[in-house]
Amino acid sequence: MTRVLVLKLLRDVRWGLVIVSVLLCLFQLLWAKVTDRIAAPDQLLESFLQLGLSVDDIRKRLFSGPGQIVQALMGGESIRIERALDMISISYVHPLTQIILCVWAIGRAAGAIAGEIDKGTMELLLAQPVARSKVIAAHLVVDAITIPILCLSMWLGTWIGVAILGFLNHADPNLQVNPWRFGPALLNVALLVFAVSGLTMWISSMGRFRWRVLGVAVLVALVMFLVNVIGQIWDPASPLRPATIFYYYQPQPMILQDEWFKQAVVWERLGVLLAVGSGGYLLAWWTFCKRDLPAPL
Amino acid sequence: MLLRANQLTKDYGSFRALDQLDLEIAPGEIFGLLGPNGSGKSTALRLLMGFMRPTAGSASIAGHDCWHDSVRARRNVGYLPGELRLYENMTGRQLVRFLGQLHGQDGTERVDRLAQVFDIDISRPIANLSSGMKRKVALLQVLLPQTPVLILDEPTNTLDPTMRDVLMKQLVEARNRGQAVLFSSHVLTEVERVCDRVGILQRGRLVHLQKLAELHEVRRIRATFAEPSEAMPNLPGVDGAVRNGREWTCEYDGPLPEMLAWLVAHKVEDLRIEPLGLAGIYHQYHGAEA
Repeated sequence: MTRVLVLKLLRDVRWGLVIVSVLLCLFQLLWAKVTDRIAAPDQLLESFLQLGLSVDDIRKRLFSGPGQIVQALMGGESIRIERALDMISISYVHPLTQIILCVWAIGRAAGAIAGEIDKGTMELLLAQPVARSKVIAAHLVVDAITIPILCLSMWLGTWIGVAILGFLNHADPNLQVNPWRFGPALLNVALLVFAVSGLTMWISSMGRFRWRVLGVAVLVALVMFLVNVIGQIWDPASPLRPATIFYYYQPQPMILQDEWFKQAVVWERLGVLLAVGSGGYLLAWWTFCKRDLPAPL
Repeated sequence: MLLRANQLTKDYGSFRALDQLDLEIAPGEIFGLLGPNGSGKSTALRLLMGFMRPTAGSASIAGHDCWHDSVRARRNVGYLPGELRLYENMTGRQLVRFLGQLHGQDGTERVDRLAQVFDIDISRPIANLSSGMKRKVALLQVLLPQTPVLILDEPTNTLDPTMRDVLMKQLVEARNRGQAVLFSSHVLTEVERVCDRVGILQRGRLVHLQKLAELHEVRRIRATFAEPSEAMPNLPGVDGAVRNGREWTCEYDGPLPEMLAWLVAHKVEDLRIEPLGLAGIYHQYHGAEA
Protein backbone atom coordinates (compact mmCIF):
# COMPACT_ATOMS: atom_id res chain seq x y z
CA MET A 1 0.00 0.00 0.00
CA THR A 2 2.85 2.39 0.86
CA ARG A 3 4.33 1.52 -2.56
CA VAL A 4 1.12 2.63 -4.28
CA LEU A 5 1.17 5.87 -2.33
CA VAL A 6 4.87 6.46 -3.01
CA LEU A 7 4.38 5.95 -6.74
CA LYS A 8 1.50 8.41 -6.73
CA LEU A 9 3.53 10.99 -4.78
CA LEU A 10 6.52 10.57 -7.10
CA ARG A 11 4.20 11.05 -10.07
CA ASP A 12 2.95 14.28 -8.48
CA VAL A 13 6.44 15.73 -8.01
CA ARG A 14 8.12 14.41 -11.14
CA TRP A 15 8.17 17.67 -13.13
CA GLY A 16 9.22 19.74 -10.16
CA LEU A 17 11.99 17.26 -9.46
CA VAL A 18 13.23 17.44 -13.04
CA ILE A 19 13.24 21.27 -13.00
CA VAL A 20 15.02 21.56 -9.64
CA SER A 21 17.56 18.88 -10.61
CA VAL A 22 18.35 20.64 -13.89
CA LEU A 23 18.66 23.99 -12.07
CA LEU A 24 21.08 22.54 -9.54
CA CYS A 25 23.11 20.84 -12.24
CA LEU A 26 23.28 23.99 -14.37
CA PHE A 27 24.30 26.14 -11.42
CA GLN A 28 27.23 23.84 -10.59
CA LEU A 29 28.21 23.96 -14.24
CA LEU A 30 27.95 27.74 -14.26
CA TRP A 31 30.03 27.98 -11.10
CA ALA A 32 32.80 25.90 -12.66
CA LYS A 33 32.82 28.50 -15.44
CA VAL A 34 32.97 31.31 -12.88
CA THR A 35 35.93 29.54 -11.27
CA ASP A 36 37.58 29.31 -14.66
CA ARG A 37 37.09 33.06 -15.24
CA ILE A 38 38.68 33.90 -11.90
CA ALA A 39 41.43 31.36 -11.31
CA ALA A 40 42.48 30.08 -14.73
CA PRO A 41 45.65 31.44 -16.41
CA ASP A 42 45.19 34.83 -18.15
CA GLN A 43 42.02 35.45 -16.24
CA LEU A 44 40.92 37.79 -13.47
CA LEU A 45 43.20 36.67 -10.66
CA GLU A 46 46.28 36.74 -12.84
CA SER A 47 45.41 40.26 -13.99
CA PHE A 48 45.45 41.40 -10.35
CA LEU A 49 48.69 39.57 -9.68
CA GLN A 50 50.28 41.33 -12.65
CA LEU A 51 49.44 44.64 -10.96
CA GLY A 52 51.83 43.63 -8.20
CA LEU A 53 49.21 42.52 -5.67
CA SER A 54 49.66 39.25 -3.82
CA VAL A 55 46.77 36.83 -3.30
CA ASP A 56 46.66 37.80 0.38
CA ASP A 57 46.43 41.48 -0.58
CA ILE A 58 43.54 40.75 -2.88
CA ARG A 59 41.78 38.74 -0.18
CA LYS A 60 42.27 41.48 2.40
CA ARG A 61 40.83 44.11 0.06
CA LEU A 62 37.97 41.97 -1.15
CA PHE A 63 36.90 40.62 2.22
CA SER A 64 37.22 43.64 4.48
CA GLY A 65 34.24 45.74 5.59
CA PRO A 66 31.07 44.75 3.71
CA GLY A 67 33.15 42.12 1.88
CA GLN A 68 33.02 40.09 5.11
CA ILE A 69 29.47 39.10 4.19
CA VAL A 70 30.72 37.75 0.87
CA GLN A 71 33.48 35.86 2.66
CA ALA A 72 30.97 34.40 5.11
CA LEU A 73 28.72 33.30 2.26
CA MET A 74 31.71 31.76 0.45
CA GLY A 75 32.52 29.55 3.39
CA GLY A 76 34.82 31.61 5.62
CA GLU A 77 38.47 32.54 5.88
CA SER A 78 39.89 29.14 4.99
CA ILE A 79 38.81 29.36 1.34
CA ARG A 80 41.72 30.11 -1.03
CA ILE A 81 40.58 31.90 -4.15
CA GLU A 82 43.62 30.86 -6.16
CA ARG A 83 42.69 27.17 -5.83
CA ALA A 84 40.07 25.84 -8.24
CA LEU A 85 38.88 23.16 -5.81
CA ASP A 86 38.19 25.79 -3.12
CA MET A 87 36.45 28.03 -5.64
CA ILE A 88 34.21 25.27 -7.00
CA SER A 89 33.36 24.17 -3.44
CA ILE A 90 31.79 27.61 -2.94
CA SER A 91 28.92 26.54 -5.20
CA TYR A 92 27.88 23.99 -2.57
CA VAL A 93 27.34 26.72 0.05
CA HIS A 94 26.28 29.44 -2.37
CA PRO A 95 22.99 31.07 -1.25
CA LEU A 96 21.39 30.22 -4.58
CA THR A 97 22.12 26.52 -4.10
CA GLN A 98 20.76 26.67 -0.58
CA ILE A 99 17.68 28.56 -1.76
CA ILE A 100 16.95 26.01 -4.50
CA LEU A 101 17.35 23.14 -2.05
CA CYS A 102 15.15 24.82 0.56
CA VAL A 103 12.48 25.76 -1.98
CA TRP A 104 12.27 22.12 -2.97
CA ALA A 105 12.13 20.82 0.61
CA ILE A 106 9.67 23.43 1.86
CA GLY A 107 7.46 23.34 -1.22
CA ARG A 108 7.11 19.59 -1.21
CA ALA A 109 6.64 19.12 2.54
CA ALA A 110 4.17 22.02 2.83
CA GLY A 111 1.97 20.33 0.25
CA ALA A 112 2.32 16.91 1.84
CA ILE A 113 -0.28 17.29 4.59
CA ALA A 114 -1.63 20.85 4.69
CA GLY A 115 -1.68 20.99 0.89
CA GLU A 116 -3.76 17.84 0.63
CA ILE A 117 -6.12 19.06 3.35
CA ASP A 118 -6.33 22.44 1.61
CA LYS A 119 -7.24 20.81 -1.70
CA GLY A 120 -9.67 18.45 0.03
CA THR A 121 -7.96 15.34 -1.34
CA MET A 122 -6.74 14.17 2.05
CA GLU A 123 -10.33 13.20 2.87
CA LEU A 124 -10.49 11.13 -0.30
CA LEU A 125 -7.21 9.43 0.58
CA LEU A 126 -8.10 8.71 4.20
CA ALA A 127 -11.50 7.37 3.18
CA GLN A 128 -9.51 4.39 1.94
CA PRO A 129 -7.99 1.91 4.41
CA VAL A 130 -4.77 3.91 4.65
CA ALA A 131 -3.18 4.51 8.06
CA ARG A 132 -2.13 8.09 8.68
CA SER A 133 1.29 6.80 9.70
CA LYS A 134 1.64 5.27 6.23
CA VAL A 135 0.98 8.65 4.64
CA ILE A 136 3.90 10.08 6.63
CA ALA A 137 6.01 7.01 5.85
CA ALA A 138 5.29 7.40 2.14
CA HIS A 139 6.54 11.00 2.25
CA LEU A 140 9.66 9.83 4.07
CA VAL A 141 10.30 7.31 1.30
CA VAL A 142 9.75 10.02 -1.32
CA ASP A 143 12.36 12.15 0.46
CA ALA A 144 14.69 9.15 0.51
CA ILE A 145 14.30 8.85 -3.27
CA THR A 146 14.21 12.49 -4.38
CA ILE A 147 16.94 13.95 -2.17
CA PRO A 148 19.67 11.66 -3.55
CA ILE A 149 18.50 12.56 -7.07
CA LEU A 150 18.97 16.26 -6.26
CA CYS A 151 22.39 15.57 -4.76
CA LEU A 152 23.49 13.50 -7.74
CA SER A 153 22.34 16.19 -10.16
CA MET A 154 24.56 18.67 -8.28
CA TRP A 155 27.45 16.29 -8.49
CA LEU A 156 26.78 15.71 -12.18
CA GLY A 157 26.97 19.47 -12.76
CA THR A 158 30.30 19.58 -10.95
CA TRP A 159 31.65 16.65 -12.97
CA ILE A 160 30.59 18.13 -16.29
CA GLY A 161 31.95 21.57 -15.39
CA VAL A 162 35.27 20.24 -14.16
CA ALA A 163 35.66 18.03 -17.24
CA ILE A 164 34.63 20.62 -19.83
CA LEU A 165 36.79 23.41 -18.39
CA GLY A 166 39.90 21.27 -18.12
CA PHE A 167 40.27 21.18 -14.31
CA LEU A 168 40.33 17.42 -14.30
CA ASN A 169 43.97 16.96 -15.26
CA HIS A 170 45.29 20.51 -15.13
CA ALA A 171 49.09 20.90 -15.11
CA ASP A 172 48.93 23.50 -12.32
CA PRO A 173 48.21 21.67 -9.03
CA ASN A 174 46.25 24.73 -7.84
CA LEU A 175 43.86 24.32 -10.73
CA GLN A 176 43.53 20.57 -10.52
CA VAL A 177 40.15 19.35 -9.32
CA ASN A 178 39.15 15.82 -8.49
CA PRO A 179 35.32 15.66 -8.61
CA TRP A 180 35.27 12.56 -6.40
CA ARG A 181 36.15 14.84 -3.50
CA PHE A 182 32.66 16.35 -3.73
CA GLY A 183 30.98 12.96 -3.15
CA PRO A 184 31.10 12.89 0.67
CA ALA A 185 29.84 16.49 0.83
CA LEU A 186 26.62 15.34 -0.80
CA LEU A 187 25.79 13.65 2.50
CA ASN A 188 25.75 17.09 4.12
CA VAL A 189 23.64 18.45 1.26
CA ALA A 190 21.18 15.56 1.59
CA LEU A 191 20.87 15.98 5.34
CA LEU A 192 20.25 19.73 5.03
CA VAL A 193 17.35 19.06 2.65
CA PHE A 194 16.10 16.30 4.95
CA ALA A 195 16.23 18.60 7.98
CA VAL A 196 14.31 21.38 6.20
CA SER A 197 11.84 18.82 4.88
CA GLY A 198 11.31 17.28 8.32
CA LEU A 199 10.73 20.64 9.97
CA THR A 200 8.30 21.72 7.25
CA MET A 201 6.52 18.37 7.43
CA TRP A 202 5.88 19.01 11.12
CA ILE A 203 4.47 22.47 10.42
CA SER A 204 2.44 20.98 7.56
CA SER A 205 0.98 18.28 9.81
CA MET A 206 -0.48 20.99 12.04
CA GLY A 207 -1.78 23.19 9.23
CA ARG A 208 -4.86 23.42 7.12
CA PHE A 209 -3.75 25.80 4.37
CA ARG A 210 -0.72 25.20 2.17
CA TRP A 211 0.14 28.88 1.70
CA ARG A 212 0.11 29.52 5.43
CA VAL A 213 2.47 26.59 6.02
CA LEU A 214 4.70 27.82 3.18
CA GLY A 215 4.80 31.28 4.73
CA VAL A 216 5.71 30.02 8.19
CA ALA A 217 8.33 27.56 6.90
CA VAL A 218 9.96 30.16 4.62
CA LEU A 219 10.06 32.66 7.46
CA VAL A 220 11.67 30.13 9.82
CA ALA A 221 14.26 29.14 7.18
CA LEU A 222 15.02 32.74 6.27
CA VAL A 223 15.50 33.81 9.88
CA MET A 224 17.81 30.84 10.50
CA PHE A 225 19.81 31.60 7.37
CA LEU A 226 20.25 35.27 8.28
CA VAL A 227 21.14 34.50 11.90
CA ASN A 228 23.81 32.07 10.65
CA VAL A 229 25.30 34.64 8.25
CA ILE A 230 25.17 37.52 10.75
CA GLY A 231 26.68 35.26 13.40
CA GLN A 232 29.72 34.77 11.15
CA ILE A 233 30.45 38.47 10.77
CA TRP A 234 29.23 39.86 14.10
CA ASP A 235 30.66 38.17 17.19
CA PRO A 236 27.83 38.99 19.65
CA ALA A 237 25.44 37.03 17.38
CA SER A 238 27.73 34.04 16.94
CA PRO A 239 26.35 32.07 19.95
CA LEU A 240 23.01 31.99 18.12
CA ARG A 241 24.43 30.16 15.11
CA PRO A 242 24.16 26.64 16.57
CA ALA A 243 20.42 27.26 16.96
CA THR A 244 20.08 27.35 13.18
CA ILE A 245 20.21 24.32 10.92
CA PHE A 246 22.41 26.19 8.42
CA TYR A 247 25.22 26.23 10.99
CA TYR A 248 25.41 22.47 10.57
CA TYR A 249 25.57 22.75 6.81
CA GLN A 250 29.32 22.94 6.17
CA PRO A 251 30.17 20.70 3.23
CA GLN A 252 33.44 22.47 2.36
CA PRO A 253 35.64 20.73 4.96
CA MET A 254 34.38 17.42 3.56
CA ILE A 255 35.51 18.54 0.10
CA LEU A 256 38.75 20.31 0.94
CA GLN A 257 40.22 18.28 3.78
CA ASP A 258 41.71 14.88 3.09
CA GLU A 259 40.88 13.34 6.44
CA TRP A 260 37.58 15.06 7.15
CA PHE A 261 36.11 11.79 8.40
CA LYS A 262 38.49 11.81 11.36
CA GLN A 263 36.97 15.03 12.67
CA ALA A 264 34.26 14.48 15.24
CA VAL A 265 32.77 17.90 14.54
CA VAL A 266 31.90 16.90 10.96
CA TRP A 267 29.98 13.88 12.20
CA GLU A 268 28.31 15.99 14.89
CA ARG A 269 27.03 18.38 12.23
CA LEU A 270 25.70 15.53 10.14
CA GLY A 271 24.14 13.98 13.23
CA VAL A 272 22.35 17.18 14.18
CA LEU A 273 20.83 17.55 10.71
CA LEU A 274 19.77 13.92 10.73
CA ALA A 275 18.23 14.37 14.18
CA VAL A 276 16.37 17.53 13.13
CA GLY A 277 14.95 15.82 10.03
CA SER A 278 14.01 12.66 11.92
CA GLY A 279 12.59 14.68 14.80
CA GLY A 280 10.49 16.70 12.38
CA TYR A 281 9.10 13.56 10.80
CA LEU A 282 8.39 12.01 14.21
CA LEU A 283 6.55 15.11 15.37
CA ALA A 284 4.66 15.21 12.05
CA TRP A 285 3.65 11.59 12.54
CA TRP A 286 2.52 12.19 16.13
CA THR A 287 0.61 15.37 15.26
CA PHE A 288 -1.06 14.01 12.14
CA CYS A 289 -2.16 10.77 13.79
CA LYS A 290 -3.81 12.65 16.66
CA ARG A 291 -5.47 15.54 14.87
CA ASP A 292 -8.98 15.92 13.50
CA LEU A 293 -9.22 16.13 9.75
CA PRO A 294 -11.10 19.33 8.94
CA ALA A 295 -13.81 19.23 6.29
CA PRO A 296 -12.80 20.72 2.94
CA LEU A 297 -13.80 24.35 2.51
CA MET B 1 -24.91 -5.01 13.27
CA LEU B 2 -22.48 -3.72 10.65
CA LEU B 3 -22.49 -0.17 11.85
CA ARG B 4 -23.03 1.00 15.38
CA ALA B 5 -22.85 4.42 17.06
CA ASN B 6 -23.05 4.56 20.80
CA GLN B 7 -23.65 7.95 22.46
CA LEU B 8 -21.47 9.43 19.71
CA THR B 9 -20.74 13.08 20.50
CA LYS B 10 -18.59 15.75 18.89
CA ASP B 11 -17.90 19.25 20.16
CA TYR B 12 -16.17 21.99 18.16
CA GLY B 13 -14.99 24.19 21.01
CA SER B 14 -18.12 25.11 22.91
CA PHE B 15 -20.40 24.14 20.01
CA ARG B 16 -21.91 20.66 20.16
CA ALA B 17 -22.20 19.46 16.58
CA LEU B 18 -23.38 15.94 17.41
CA ASP B 19 -25.09 14.98 20.63
CA GLN B 20 -25.18 11.39 21.89
CA LEU B 21 -26.06 9.69 18.63
CA ASP B 22 -27.22 6.10 19.01
CA LEU B 23 -27.54 4.24 15.76
CA GLU B 24 -27.41 0.69 14.45
CA ILE B 25 -27.52 -0.41 10.85
CA ALA B 26 -27.86 -4.04 9.84
CA PRO B 27 -26.56 -5.80 6.73
CA GLY B 28 -28.97 -5.39 3.83
CA GLU B 29 -30.43 -2.16 5.17
CA ILE B 30 -30.53 1.33 3.70
CA PHE B 31 -30.61 4.04 6.34
CA GLY B 32 -31.28 7.67 5.49
CA LEU B 33 -29.99 10.46 7.67
CA LEU B 34 -32.07 13.59 7.32
CA GLY B 35 -31.70 17.09 8.61
CA PRO B 36 -31.09 20.63 7.44
CA ASN B 37 -27.62 22.15 7.00
CA GLY B 38 -25.73 22.21 10.29
CA SER B 39 -27.84 19.51 11.91
CA GLY B 40 -24.83 17.20 12.33
CA LYS B 41 -25.24 14.79 9.40
CA SER B 42 -21.77 15.27 7.92
CA THR B 43 -20.19 15.34 11.38
CA ALA B 44 -21.78 11.96 12.13
CA LEU B 45 -20.54 10.48 8.86
CA ARG B 46 -17.04 11.93 9.27
CA LEU B 47 -16.83 10.49 12.80
CA LEU B 48 -17.79 7.10 11.41
CA MET B 49 -14.99 7.46 8.85
CA GLY B 50 -12.45 8.14 11.61
CA PHE B 51 -11.62 11.60 10.31
CA MET B 52 -12.22 13.03 13.78
CA ARG B 53 -11.87 11.82 17.33
CA PRO B 54 -15.23 11.72 19.13
CA THR B 55 -15.55 14.00 22.15
CA ALA B 56 -17.52 11.22 23.83
CA GLY B 57 -19.06 7.91 22.89
CA SER B 58 -17.86 5.57 20.20
CA ALA B 59 -18.69 4.11 16.83
CA SER B 60 -17.77 0.88 15.12
CA ILE B 61 -17.97 -0.60 11.65
CA ALA B 62 -17.92 -4.38 11.26
CA GLY B 63 -16.84 -4.54 14.90
CA HIS B 64 -13.86 -2.21 14.49
CA ASP B 65 -13.74 1.05 16.42
CA CYS B 66 -13.93 3.95 13.98
CA TRP B 67 -11.17 5.97 15.69
CA HIS B 68 -8.88 3.49 17.43
CA ASP B 69 -9.07 0.80 14.75
CA SER B 70 -9.87 3.14 11.92
CA VAL B 71 -7.98 1.38 9.12
CA ARG B 72 -9.77 -1.93 9.67
CA ALA B 73 -13.08 -0.09 9.95
CA ARG B 74 -12.44 1.76 6.67
CA ARG B 75 -11.48 -1.47 4.93
CA ASN B 76 -15.19 -2.27 5.18
CA VAL B 77 -16.43 1.08 3.91
CA GLY B 78 -16.93 2.85 0.63
CA TYR B 79 -17.29 6.57 1.32
CA LEU B 80 -18.50 9.44 -0.81
CA PRO B 81 -17.69 12.83 0.74
CA GLY B 82 -20.18 15.67 0.66
CA GLU B 83 -17.61 18.21 -0.50
CA LEU B 84 -16.07 16.28 -3.32
CA ARG B 85 -12.41 16.89 -4.24
CA LEU B 86 -10.57 14.54 -6.57
CA TYR B 87 -7.01 14.36 -7.88
CA GLU B 88 -7.35 16.65 -10.85
CA ASN B 89 -4.12 15.46 -12.45
CA MET B 90 -5.50 11.96 -12.99
CA THR B 91 -7.99 10.51 -15.41
CA GLY B 92 -11.09 8.83 -14.04
CA ARG B 93 -9.59 5.42 -14.75
CA GLN B 94 -6.31 6.29 -13.01
CA LEU B 95 -8.19 7.53 -9.96
CA VAL B 96 -10.38 4.45 -9.72
CA ARG B 97 -7.34 2.20 -10.13
CA PHE B 98 -5.31 4.14 -7.54
CA LEU B 99 -8.06 4.09 -4.92
CA GLY B 100 -8.86 0.47 -5.75
CA GLN B 101 -5.24 -0.49 -5.15
CA LEU B 102 -5.36 1.23 -1.77
CA HIS B 103 -8.42 -0.88 -1.02
CA GLY B 104 -6.42 -3.93 -2.05
CA GLN B 105 -8.78 -4.59 -4.94
CA ASP B 106 -8.34 -4.46 -8.66
CA GLY B 107 -11.89 -4.58 -9.99
CA THR B 108 -10.85 -3.55 -13.49
CA GLU B 109 -13.45 -5.81 -15.06
CA ARG B 110 -16.32 -4.04 -13.32
CA VAL B 111 -14.97 -0.53 -13.94
CA ASP B 112 -16.05 -0.38 -17.56
CA ARG B 113 -19.43 -1.93 -16.89
CA LEU B 114 -20.15 0.49 -14.05
CA ALA B 115 -18.81 3.42 -16.10
CA GLN B 116 -21.29 2.44 -18.79
CA VAL B 117 -24.12 2.33 -16.24
CA PHE B 118 -23.23 5.84 -15.10
CA ASP B 119 -22.64 6.98 -18.67
CA ILE B 120 -19.19 8.39 -18.05
CA ASP B 121 -15.98 8.50 -20.05
CA ILE B 122 -13.32 7.59 -17.50
CA SER B 123 -10.45 8.12 -19.92
CA ARG B 124 -10.86 11.91 -19.64
CA PRO B 125 -8.74 13.94 -17.19
CA ILE B 126 -10.73 14.74 -14.07
CA ALA B 127 -9.76 18.41 -14.37
CA ASN B 128 -11.84 18.56 -17.56
CA LEU B 129 -14.99 17.05 -16.05
CA SER B 130 -18.09 18.91 -14.84
CA SER B 131 -19.00 18.66 -11.16
CA GLY B 132 -21.73 16.12 -11.96
CA MET B 133 -19.31 13.98 -13.93
CA LYS B 134 -16.76 14.18 -11.12
CA ARG B 135 -19.42 12.93 -8.73
CA LYS B 136 -20.09 10.03 -11.03
CA VAL B 137 -16.37 9.12 -11.03
CA ALA B 138 -16.40 9.31 -7.24
CA LEU B 139 -19.49 7.11 -7.08
CA LEU B 140 -17.75 4.65 -9.33
CA GLN B 141 -14.88 4.25 -6.90
CA VAL B 142 -17.31 3.95 -3.97
CA LEU B 143 -19.48 1.28 -5.55
CA LEU B 144 -16.72 -0.70 -7.22
CA PRO B 145 -15.12 -2.49 -4.22
CA GLN B 146 -18.52 -3.76 -2.93
CA THR B 147 -17.55 -3.10 0.67
CA PRO B 148 -19.93 -4.29 3.41
CA VAL B 149 -20.84 -0.68 4.27
CA LEU B 150 -21.48 2.31 2.03
CA ILE B 151 -21.47 5.79 3.57
CA LEU B 152 -22.63 8.51 1.22
CA ASP B 153 -22.86 12.18 2.13
CA GLU B 154 -25.54 13.78 -0.03
CA PRO B 155 -24.73 11.50 -2.96
CA THR B 156 -27.23 12.91 -5.43
CA ASN B 157 -25.91 16.48 -5.26
CA THR B 158 -25.18 17.79 -8.77
CA LEU B 159 -26.53 14.60 -10.41
CA ASP B 160 -29.21 14.93 -13.08
CA PRO B 161 -32.58 13.16 -12.49
CA THR B 162 -31.64 10.20 -14.69
CA MET B 163 -28.42 9.60 -12.79
CA ARG B 164 -30.25 9.97 -9.49
CA ASP B 165 -32.47 7.11 -10.57
CA VAL B 166 -29.42 5.08 -11.61
CA LEU B 167 -27.78 5.70 -8.26
CA MET B 168 -30.91 4.78 -6.31
CA LYS B 169 -31.09 1.55 -8.29
CA GLN B 170 -27.45 0.83 -7.48
CA LEU B 171 -28.15 1.38 -3.77
CA VAL B 172 -31.07 -1.03 -3.87
CA GLU B 173 -28.83 -3.58 -5.61
CA ALA B 174 -26.21 -3.04 -2.90
CA ARG B 175 -28.85 -3.70 -0.26
CA ASN B 176 -29.91 -6.86 -2.07
CA ARG B 177 -26.29 -8.02 -1.98
CA GLY B 178 -26.33 -7.58 1.79
CA GLN B 179 -24.41 -4.31 1.96
CA ALA B 180 -25.45 -1.75 4.55
CA VAL B 181 -25.99 1.75 3.18
CA LEU B 182 -26.00 4.95 5.21
CA PHE B 183 -26.62 8.15 3.36
CA SER B 184 -27.53 11.68 4.16
CA SER B 185 -29.77 13.77 2.00
CA HIS B 186 -32.02 16.78 1.78
CA VAL B 187 -34.21 15.18 -0.85
CA LEU B 188 -37.04 13.48 1.01
CA THR B 189 -38.56 11.76 -2.02
CA GLU B 190 -35.40 9.81 -2.84
CA VAL B 191 -34.90 8.86 0.80
CA GLU B 192 -38.49 7.68 0.98
CA ARG B 193 -38.04 5.69 -2.20
CA VAL B 194 -35.13 3.51 -1.17
CA CYS B 195 -34.59 3.68 2.59
CA ASP B 196 -35.68 1.05 5.04
CA ARG B 197 -35.28 3.40 7.99
CA VAL B 198 -34.62 7.09 8.43
CA GLY B 199 -33.28 9.17 11.26
CA ILE B 200 -33.94 12.87 11.59
CA LEU B 201 -31.28 15.05 13.15
CA GLN B 202 -32.05 18.37 14.77
CA ARG B 203 -29.20 20.50 16.14
CA GLY B 204 -26.99 17.45 16.51
CA ARG B 205 -29.58 15.24 18.21
CA LEU B 206 -31.32 12.28 16.64
CA VAL B 207 -34.92 13.29 17.31
CA HIS B 208 -36.80 10.72 15.27
CA LEU B 209 -36.25 7.17 14.02
CA GLN B 210 -38.73 5.84 11.53
CA LYS B 211 -39.21 2.56 9.72
CA LEU B 212 -40.42 3.43 6.25
CA ALA B 213 -42.57 0.29 6.06
CA GLU B 214 -44.52 1.51 9.10
CA LEU B 215 -44.77 4.95 7.62
CA HIS B 216 -46.30 3.59 4.42
CA GLU B 217 -49.10 1.95 6.43
CA VAL B 218 -50.17 5.29 7.90
CA ARG B 219 -52.57 7.45 5.91
CA ARG B 220 -53.42 11.05 6.34
CA ILE B 221 -57.15 11.64 6.03
CA ARG B 222 -58.64 15.09 5.34
CA ALA B 223 -62.41 15.26 5.28
CA THR B 224 -64.91 18.08 4.88
CA PHE B 225 -68.34 17.39 6.41
CA ALA B 226 -71.68 18.85 5.43
CA GLU B 227 -72.21 20.33 8.91
CA PRO B 228 -69.94 21.38 11.79
CA SER B 229 -69.70 18.64 14.39
CA GLU B 230 -67.58 17.53 17.32
CA ALA B 231 -67.94 13.82 16.47
CA MET B 232 -64.76 11.71 16.46
CA PRO B 233 -64.43 8.13 15.25
CA ASN B 234 -63.95 5.62 18.01
CA LEU B 235 -61.64 3.42 15.92
CA PRO B 236 -58.25 1.94 16.79
CA GLY B 237 -55.38 3.46 14.75
CA VAL B 238 -56.61 7.05 14.75
CA ASP B 239 -53.93 9.50 15.79
CA GLY B 240 -53.58 13.25 15.89
CA ALA B 241 -57.18 13.99 14.95
CA VAL B 242 -57.98 17.70 14.65
CA ARG B 243 -61.46 19.09 14.11
CA ASN B 244 -61.91 22.62 12.90
CA GLY B 245 -65.54 23.41 12.09
CA ARG B 246 -66.42 21.29 9.08
CA GLU B 247 -62.78 20.36 8.40
CA TRP B 248 -61.29 17.26 9.97
CA THR B 249 -57.83 15.70 9.67
CA CYS B 250 -56.18 12.68 11.26
CA GLU B 251 -53.49 10.03 10.76
CA TYR B 252 -54.84 6.52 10.50
CA ASP B 253 -53.21 3.08 10.26
CA GLY B 254 -56.32 0.92 10.83
CA PRO B 255 -58.50 -0.93 8.31
CA LEU B 256 -59.89 1.42 5.69
CA PRO B 257 -63.47 0.05 5.28
CA GLU B 258 -64.37 0.87 8.88
CA MET B 259 -63.11 4.40 8.54
CA LEU B 260 -64.94 4.90 5.26
CA ALA B 261 -68.15 3.63 6.86
CA TRP B 262 -67.82 6.13 9.68
CA LEU B 263 -67.13 8.98 7.28
CA VAL B 264 -70.16 8.16 5.13
CA ALA B 265 -72.32 7.97 8.24
CA HIS B 266 -71.26 11.53 9.13
CA LYS B 267 -72.21 13.03 5.75
CA VAL B 268 -68.77 13.66 4.27
CA GLU B 269 -68.75 16.11 1.38
CA ASP B 270 -65.10 15.96 0.34
CA LEU B 271 -62.40 13.45 1.18
CA ARG B 272 -58.66 13.06 0.61
CA ILE B 273 -56.75 9.98 1.73
CA GLU B 274 -53.00 9.92 1.12
CA PRO B 275 -49.96 8.15 2.54
CA LEU B 276 -48.55 10.15 5.44
CA GLY B 277 -45.07 10.31 3.81
CA LEU B 278 -41.77 11.41 5.16
CA ALA B 279 -42.43 15.07 4.56
CA GLY B 280 -45.15 15.07 7.19
CA ILE B 281 -42.75 13.76 9.84
CA TYR B 282 -39.75 15.81 8.69
CA HIS B 283 -41.70 19.05 8.82
CA GLN B 284 -42.77 18.33 12.39
CA TYR B 285 -39.13 19.00 13.26
CA HIS B 286 -37.86 21.24 10.52
CA GLY B 287 -40.92 22.81 8.90
CA ALA B 288 -41.86 26.46 9.29
CA GLU B 289 -44.24 25.51 12.10
CA ALA B 290 -41.50 23.67 13.98
